[in-house]
Amino acid sequence: MHQTIAFRTAWVITRSAADAEEAAQDAFVKAHAALGRFREGAPFRPWLLAIVANEARNRLRSAGRRAGLALRVAEERRPDDAVPSPEAALLDSERRELLLAAIERLPDGARETIACRFLLDLSEEETAAALDCPRGTVKSRVSRALDRLRVELGEEVEA
Amino acid sequence: MSELERQLTQLGRELDWLPTPELSHAVRERIAPAPVRRRPPIFRRSLAIALAALLLLAGGVFAAVPGVRDAVLEFFGLQGATVERREELPPPPPPAPLQLGERTTLDAARDSLGFDPLVPEAAGEPDSVYVQRRVPGGSIALAYRPSDDLPEARSTGLGLLVEEFRGDLAPEYFGKTAGEATRIERLRIDGDRAIWLEGAPHFFFYRAQNEPFREEDLRIAQNVLLLEHGRLLVRMEGAFDLDQAVELARSLR
Repeated sequence: MHQTIAFRTAWVITRSAADAEEAAQDAFVKAHAALGRFREGAPFRPWLLAIVANEARNRLRSAGRRAGLALRVAEERRPDDAVPSPEAALLDSERRELLLAAIERLPDGARETIACRFLLDLSEEETAAALDCPRGTVKSRVSRALDRLRVELGEEVEA
Repeated sequence: MSELERQLTQLGRELDWLPTPELSHAVRERIAPAPVRRRPPIFRRSLAIALAALLLLAGGVFAAVPGVRDAVLEFFGLQGATVERREELPPPPPPAPLQLGERTTLDAARDSLGFDPLVPEAAGEPDSVYVQRRVPGGSIALAYRPSDDLPEARSTGLGLLVEEFRGDLAPEYFGKTAGEATRIERLRIDGDRAIWLEGAPHFFFYRAQNEPFREEDLRIAQNVLLLEHGRLLVRMEGAFDLDQAVELARSLR
């Protein structure tokens, strides 16, 4: 469960499968070593994701600029995805491609913000941990990233 | 949530994410220390406990460790100490002298440690003082002979044993393993986080960084209060009850 979100968060930041794997692995080892510092009763995922994101960023810094996310939509949905919940109406293929292309054109920071908050569906607290910013900053960064994305999509920016 | 936000969230569900690599095996190998000769069985247990604690928190990383997930029922942590409640406890170690360190005086300890040691004024001056250098900043042990107010604890032969070290520098130095019959209570004493262990004996061990586990570091403990006081982790052990332990903690100066 957390293995997947840790790996994907690291991948969103490093955009390299090998680096993401290393970063996630190192993060779990460091989390284990730091278990005594984990505040009992505090949510675990943000704490873990902060360690993951830090590891991922270290690799990104040493690797220099990376390619885009190179995201694509799954061609075949798994059987358990076949009946979407009412609030999760599937996107039509054209809209999906438009969104993906627009996300790829975003600057790194905005792309990371959109990926963490929406594509990975992280909470605000988790997004703050992954982006290494205060929770209060997440809202404004998300808002700016959405505006930027609307511009890329040729849509009207909300006032 | 705007329509765009909903679409982005949905897009995330429909994406063809890279398959998550198998991390647990590599992580487990890296967490396990280098093998040492005649490693005591309890070391494997304490390692399993630590792994299980992370497993419980991390929700599945160590799912490949069969049986371990069920072994730990609860996990408690302070800066400097971890407490795990397990379904089963290891066999009790043979009685052995306490390993408190090098005998010294309170004044000499004050000069040599990386912190100002605290003394529970309610118990008066300690009868003997010991220091150890196994953790950054060192650690101190204050031993009090049994008295009317502080009856002898079977586990130590003392009325009160107080141990202190820099929890921020050695976050896992004290380890505790308790069974289901031990009462474990989280509490705050004047704002400081604390854990109280009472009832059935539980296991206590030191976990010094970069040192293999030593069998003599494991022993049975009686009633214990663990207190996170600023940067210090304070451990008090005796045959006292919680009220008395809190009174002692409040008198630390």
